[in-house]
Amino acid sequence: MNERMIDRLLEMAKRAGFEQAEAYYTRGESFQASVQEGAVEDYRVESQQGLSLRGLYGGKMGYASTEAVDEDGLEELVRAAKENAALIQNEDETPLHDGSDTIEQKPYEDKISALSAKEKIDLAIAMEKYAKEADERVLRVHGCMIGTETSYRRIRNTLGLDRESSGSLGFAGVSPIIRNGDNMLSGRHFLAFDDFAKLDVKDVAEQAVSDGISYIGASSMPSGAVPVVIRNDTMAVFLGVFAGIFSAASADRGLSLLKGKEGTAVAAPCVTLLDDPFCKDAYSGAAFDGEGVAARCKAVIEDGVFRTLLYDLKYAHKAGVASTGNASRPSYASTVGIAPSNFYIRPGENSREELFRMAGNGVMITDVMGTHAGANPVSGDFSLASKGFLIQNGKVVRPVEQITVAGNFYKLLEGVRAVGSDLYFGLPGACSFGAPSVLVDGLSIAGK
Amino acid sequence: MLNNTLAAEVLGKALSTGGDFAEIFAEDTTSQGIVVLSSQVENASTGRQRGVGIRIYKGLNSVYAYTNDLGREGLLRCAADAAAAIGEKGESRDIRLTRSIAPNIHPVRLLPGDVDGKRKAAALLQMDKAARDYSPEVVQVSSSFSGKWQRVQIINSEGLNVQDERVYVRVRVQAIAASGAENQTGSRSPGALQGYEFVEGLDLDALGRGAAQSAVTMLHAENCPAGQMPVVIDDGFGGVIFHEACGHSLEATSVAKGNSVFCGKLGKPIAAPCVSAVDDGTMPGEWGSLNIDDEGNPTQRKQLIKDGVLTSYMIDRLNGRRMGMPSTGSGRRQDYSYAPTSRMNNTFICEGSDDEEEMIRTMGDGLYACRMGGGSVNPVTGEFNFGVDEAYLVRDGRIDRPVRGASLIGKGHEILWNIDRVGRRMTMAQGMCGSMSGSVPTNVGQPRIRVSQITVGGR
Repeated sequence: MNERMIDRLLEMAKRAGFEQAEAYYTRGESFQASVQEGAVEDYRVESQQGLSLRGLYGGKMGYASTEAVDEDGLEELVRAAKENAALIQNEDETPLHDGSDTIEQKPYEDKISALSAKEKIDLAIAMEKYAKEADERVLRVHGCMIGTETSYRRIRNTLGLDRESSGSLGFAGVSPIIRNGDNMLSGRHFLAFDDFAKLDVKDVAEQAVSDGISYIGASSMPSGAVPVVIRNDTMAVFLGVFAGIFSAASADRGLSLLKGKEGTAVAAPCVTLLDDPFCKDAYSGAAFDGEGVAARCKAVIEDGVFRTLLYDLKYAHKAGVASTGNASRPSYASTVGIAPSNFYIRPGENSREELFRMAGNGVMITDVMGTHAGANPVSGDFSLASKGFLIQNGKVVRPVEQITVAGNFYKLLEGVRAVGSDLYFGLPGACSFGAPSVLVDGLSIAGK
Repeated sequence: MLNNTLAAEVLGKALSTGGDFAEIFAEDTTSQGIVVLSSQVENASTGRQRGVGIRIYKGLNSVYAYTNDLGREGLLRCAADAAAAIGEKGESRDIRLTRSIAPNIHPVRLLPGDVDGKRKAAALLQMDKAARDYSPEVVQVSSSFSGKWQRVQIINSEGLNVQDERVYVRVRVQAIAASGAENQTGSRSPGALQGYEFVEGLDLDALGRGAAQSAVTMLHAENCPAGQMPVVIDDGFGGVIFHEACGHSLEATSVAKGNSVFCGKLGKPIAAPCVSAVDDGTMPGEWGSLNIDDEGNPTQRKQLIKDGVLTSYMIDRLNGRRMGMPSTGSGRRQDYSYAPTSRMNNTFICEGSDDEEEMIRTMGDGLYACRMGGGSVNPVTGEFNFGVDEAYLVRDGRIDRPVRGASLIGKGHEILWNIDRVGRRMTMAQGMCGSMSGSVPTNVGQPRIRVSQITVGGR
């Protein structure tokens, strides 16, 4: 693929009668190696690129994408986008961006690609060894991996917009299998980094082992409504599952109860929710969004008060406001959606121990499973298989498994009694979600 | 698709550093999606994926590389990258390929791409209208069509060179019922390994009405109580309990490395004697079926459990090597960007002999789970969970009132022993199953069953 193909596509679109057209191109290269018993067990090298076209034809936005980036592929792309435009009935205007705003482009420095495949494999082998040495109950290690990826994207349209960006990221993860009598337990820990200097494989291995070991001897607990400390990593998962309610598209379609709630209290006063593409602790932000609009930091909830939905150009135009720079297009094949960048709850003052003391008798939730089924992003209801630790008299006393935690996300935001100081970001994807541990009232636990 | 000369050259390059098996998976897929929202076409998109994945084994080690640079140089570079990871030197091999086309047992009459978009949009608008007509409490409806035409070619160093085509269609309707302070949803989403004729055979009004009925029922439901209780799970998508509680743990992906609770249990009882279960990739036109798997092997019907005794795992080529057992035609992948591993096709609990009404009448107090959501499992510990979209409390053997927000959790190897009734009529439903090799279409199924005791998550 060369740059000329993007120009060629826009030319072909104009000739085919498109009033406006936009090309979006992404390319990614990735590497991943898993080791077992000191040798490479699984090894992947990947390269993928693709190009999409969206354009106004008869006032309607047609869309198509392809991985066949050649003359025939492009002709097919233009024809398909035109056919799709003819099907659209929705009359909302979908403006393209002219690129007249200014972006804060950080200078890009790749601190990921310098290591050779062998150096990365050696790190994975060392990580496995540390995990096995960390505790005698470690039976073996499965899924001990190191990965790296680099990405490039370019957006160009007939209004004069032409922007490009590059990124790179590394991942390390390990999941030890731990023997507990006749049963097996699995622990895990993952780390994302933008510089190999930030990777300490011994620390990743030891955290994974202590994660698994901490649940030895776990059992269920009595059902009931008790104070719940949601640990930072799990609270970040909740935020990710329900992030859609903050989208202006969801609100416009009647799928979010936040519609029209700007300026009113929707959470406890200790809750401030930020979307910051430039957050230094997370890796998902970029200088411009999926429509080329400059990205910026904004408070979505400030001291419990709802400030703004997240907008792309189409829904901003419909609501008569400016785009918040939240058009999302993780790959060339994605249609434009709305998503946060680095989305997190601002940390408070309380240590985790203080949250336990304030909870008195309750439970700390450290994992939720099956969020794609047990959580409904439209109603906000959730009922999720969980595990964690029993809290008695303000202290953690034993691990807990085979329980569910149930509630409603809108009510959860209102029920936050205290916010911890331990901000943590989950693994980055198209978005990053982060949170400190929080103490919440009003959730139900099902157990024995 | 690749010609024999180029394919043999690429395989030769792949094996040039000591690998003992190499495979090329080439794919060219066209997909189309149409979304109707607020009773008008909101979105229409088309996508084409075209790429090649190359896999090499050396003993039990495997390397996977993929690219969508399909020129001769791009393919040879991809093969060389993969080969460099497997070793340093090896002998050149003479590879002879025999071309074949997989016999097609899933005939297609109407390719989805050949059907006018307006006809598809009309079908979606019909479901939209039926849902809205059901109740004024239905405030929003979204419906969608997705069609996919996947052409694959699998070539390996044992001489296989086989081609197959898979045509999928699916429609989905989701209704949202609202009271002002609350939203609840209901949905229906049938699909098949068939052409557009499948959509033309659907009762679209019933689908729209059904989605609306679920949403409105749940809007007026109380919260489900929490605790342990007997549960009757309906046929169709209820089969997700077997898929999560047992199916994933019978995949060689988990078994081969000793990471499943069912390792070493072949020939031993693992479930109540009333439980028999099958995974079948050969059922004509079914959502989870295939002519051949993504490693080129014909799919099979496998009896997983017979009268409570474990009789088969689901095995792919690489894990078969690890286990010393042949592939069961279970190697699947989402697309060329994933290496294949063992996955389910159409997996179901077989028909039993119990009366569907009796099992509710004699259950005392408990839960009737009539529509299930999806779920997940940790195969190492067997801990599973799944959501219940529509449920009713049972009081003294009678269905009492709707409840919402229920989920069911447990450990697979324990719950299989607690099944005490299996009904007479098995049906299946469609899902997308996510695992290491991506998201693949699978059917789940069962007759109505009863579990004597299970933890119900509620409020």
